Amino acid sequence: MLREELIKRSPLRILETSIHGGLGKGNVGVLASRKGVGKTACLVHISADKLFQQKPVIHVSYSSRVDHIINWYEDIFKEIAKSLNLESSADIHEEIIKNRVIMNFNQEGAKTEQVLRALSAMIQYGKFAAETIIVDGYNFIRSSPDDLKKFKDFAAKIGLEVWFSASLKGDDPLFDDQGLPHELKRYLDSIDVLITLHSVENLVQLRLVKDHDYPAPAELRLTLNPGTLLIAEP
Amino acid sequence: MKTGLGQLRNIGISAHIDSGKTTLTERILFYCKKIYRMHEVKGKDGVGATMDSMELERERGITISSAATNVTWSGHQINIIDTPGHVDFTIEVERSLRVLDGAVLVLCSVGGVQSQTITVDRQLRRYGVPWIAFVNKLDRVGADPLKVTNQLRDKLGHNAVLLEIPIGLEGKHEGIVDLVAMKAVYFDGIQGEIVRMEEIPAELGPEAKKRRAELLDAASLYSDELMEAALKGRETQEQIIEAVRRGTISKALTPVFMGSAYKNKGVQPLLDGVVRYLPNPAEVENYAYDLDHSAKQIKLNPDPRAAAVALAFKLEDGPYGQLTYIRVYQGEIKKGEGLFNTRSRQKLRVGRLVRMHAESMADIEGAESGDIAALFGVDCQSGDTLVKPGLNLAMSAIYVPEPVISLAVLPASAKSADNLSKALKRFTKEDPTFRTYIDPESKQTIIQGMGELHLDVYIERMKREYKVDLQTGMPEVAYRESISLRAEFDYTHKKQTGGAGQFGRVTGAIEPLPGKPYEFVNEVKGGRIPREFIPSCDKGFRAALRKGKLIGFPITGVKVVLMDGQSHEVDSSDPAFQAAAQGAFWQAYAKAKPQILEPIMKLSVEGPVEFVGSIFGSINQRRGLIVSTIEDGIFARVDAEVPLSEMFGYSTVLRSITQGKAEFTMEFLKYARVPAQIAEKLTAEHEEKNKKEKAK
Repeated sequence: MLREELIKRSPLRILETSIHGGLGKGNVGVLASRKGVGKTACLVHISADKLFQQKPVIHVSYSSRVDHIINWYEDIFKEIAKSLNLESSADIHEEIIKNRVIMNFNQEGAKTEQVLRALSAMIQYGKFAAETIIVDGYNFIRSSPDDLKKFKDFAAKIGLEVWFSASLKGDDPLFDDQGLPHELKRYLDSIDVLITLHSVENLVQLRLVKDHDYPAPAELRLTLNPGTLLIAEP
Repeated sequence: MKTGLGQLRNIGISAHIDSGKTTLTERILFYCKKIYRMHEVKGKDGVGATMDSMELERERGITISSAATNVTWSGHQINIIDTPGHVDFTIEVERSLRVLDGAVLVLCSVGGVQSQTITVDRQLRRYGVPWIAFVNKLDRVGADPLKVTNQLRDKLGHNAVLLEIPIGLEGKHEGIVDLVAMKAVYFDGIQGEIVRMEEIPAELGPEAKKRRAELLDAASLYSDELMEAALKGRETQEQIIEAVRRGTISKALTPVFMGSAYKNKGVQPLLDGVVRYLPNPAEVENYAYDLDHSAKQIKLNPDPRAAAVALAFKLEDGPYGQLTYIRVYQGEIKKGEGLFNTRSRQKLRVGRLVRMHAESMADIEGAESGDIAALFGVDCQSGDTLVKPGLNLAMSAIYVPEPVISLAVLPASAKSADNLSKALKRFTKEDPTFRTYIDPESKQTIIQGMGELHLDVYIERMKREYKVDLQTGMPEVAYRESISLRAEFDYTHKKQTGGAGQFGRVTGAIEPLPGKPYEFVNEVKGGRIPREFIPSCDKGFRAALRKGKLIGFPITGVKVVLMDGQSHEVDSSDPAFQAAAQGAFWQAYAKAKPQILEPIMKLSVEGPVEFVGSIFGSINQRRGLIVSTIEDGIFARVDAEVPLSEMFGYSTVLRSITQGKAEFTMEFLKYARVPAQIAEKLTAEHEEKNKKEKAK
């Protein structure tokens, strides 16, 4: 399969359609669930999809092993290349690596200002024209709405989109009757797209609970395949 | 003195450049009574630490050569191989590691795990060497041994376990708490030589208990006996030591010691740790290749009564001739006995056998299995296997990377030229990554090595030790050429100029072969090319690969498939088919979309976070690709892939953009295609050079 076709047939096109054309520049998207449900896999797939489209991505993480993150990408790339029989996959792989930077921060030490300063240094001095930033492992419990707003302002200033993962740690029920996670309610002003992940009978369902300013989010017909760790149609 | 294998340890001390390794080694020698005075690395007394044997090292405060030394500690013999700390000299590190059974990794309690630590850890893993950690410099401002221990876990993935905790840090560092003995340990006397054990200070009691429980939890995994005893609260010191020892030797556990070598604290317990937890030579399996049985791997027998097998791992040319450091793996090497070098197929006699201590030595009668010693006046190369005559074994070759950088050296006078050749002869023998040749076109002497600093150090040594007055050319990168498409050939070599003619025809194809230099496949059927001329074709193709047509560098990554051909009863010959193969290669090469490859280095820069912008910029300007960054508190590390050709003078640039607060390490990663624009420039330069030479 050719790269163009792969991009066209990606299940992430469904996500884009459901959220009215994608997350969009200056906007913040959040994937939320309990630990171990598959947020990182979803984030990496979203990132890989951008990379396939030759759009640069900065992957911010708060775990200290860069090699683990690289392995995530390698696994997902291999899975996609294998399942779709991608042509000239070695060249595409090389290109993907060129368009990806991993920036790792110490969870305790790194303040939002420091992370944003490092990101702008990468974009400005590293001449890395990121269109998307992926933030994995951000601590929503310890941070404040003000911190997230700083990320959103940064996204608007530079003209890029930011996807976060949020690990939900509270007691059940985690969600209110509209499906919104209680823990993230204080952040809603700065979140443009909110997707929650739910384990349902060996599958992980993705549910869209906030879609920009549209009153009734569409039903997302997407799941995460636990075997391939790729987002897929059910 | 003869000791059993159980009382022998071969260890290396590996570290990041400024973590105080040389000071630690010095203290070890002192406490083991090998030296009677102590010096600092950049000695104010102008003497310098004993292990740095060369003047240049003294001046730069770094250790380049790995001198071996032997000490005795509580009834055990410890051979210490001093390993260099800079990545440009990693061949020295790797050669040393090859002969070690265990290592002490020294970490700075402020800097923690740094890029060099990661490199050394990777090398230790490659050779399966278990290690214990020593967190040094607890007296420094910002010392945080717990942070360093966590870094060992997080960054290196080691199961690091504290065996000690500090009593006071920075200016208040007084000693350590031994979590095995559950005692406070202080170091008295002018040079910390008197070890005093006391009760644990009350304020440290809860912390010591907590860490001891962690230690028991971790160690219990390697001993059921300890687990049972610990559950009842009746564990003994011996049980803990045995369990930690098992965990360490199986490389599943990394014990962490700490102290301040400079302030003479914590060194003696570390020596106890070496003896207690690192393996003796009999506990490490070593293998050799049996050259009489198609290089089948066989396990060596550490029994000193078995037939002798030893590896020459380090050569040094000294005032009394060549000194060859050997590690004995099997049997015993005795003075006056004969040995056989299985590479050169030459016999040699053991004249003088010595045990080394930095720059002094002691004559010995024999060296048994497991021991490290040095031979005098033996002609061999580094990596040779020496065996008892009758055996035909080779220890696996030490991995030697190809040099990536070269430099022309021009001696100013005939005398300098003489001295230069002496220096080169010695350096190339000592260091397999340092090479030299005479360029056939320019007639200049070219030296090759693993990086700018690597060559710089040798040039300095030529000037100082051999009084060579010389100029150097611009450093040149070892480019390669390769092909990107499959292309066919059908070439006839035919010459009829009186006398015997020449005739040979070859058809086939060349294909890209990633990851390998060359492969030759013969698919000729029915004797269309007579069998005796197939090797001639192979030889012809190999000859063509030596120098590409784009920029005159060797061609790599090519598979040649020879499919068919034609011969002539009288006119076909070895030279004719060689010429046909060469002609065929160039015919196909032009069609195979040839490209230029350049060495890409793995670069790791570390410095304070406020400089990351400048560091990013400096990498970007050098066509670098930033792979990842790690910010941990005030320090940041940037890992990148950068073409070597862009890295000349980087140390000066980095120093100036970071006020000297950042440092970098660099090692060869891979060959990659040169961008089109630069390829054009290189090709144009090559053509220009060719034209000039033709005009001459």
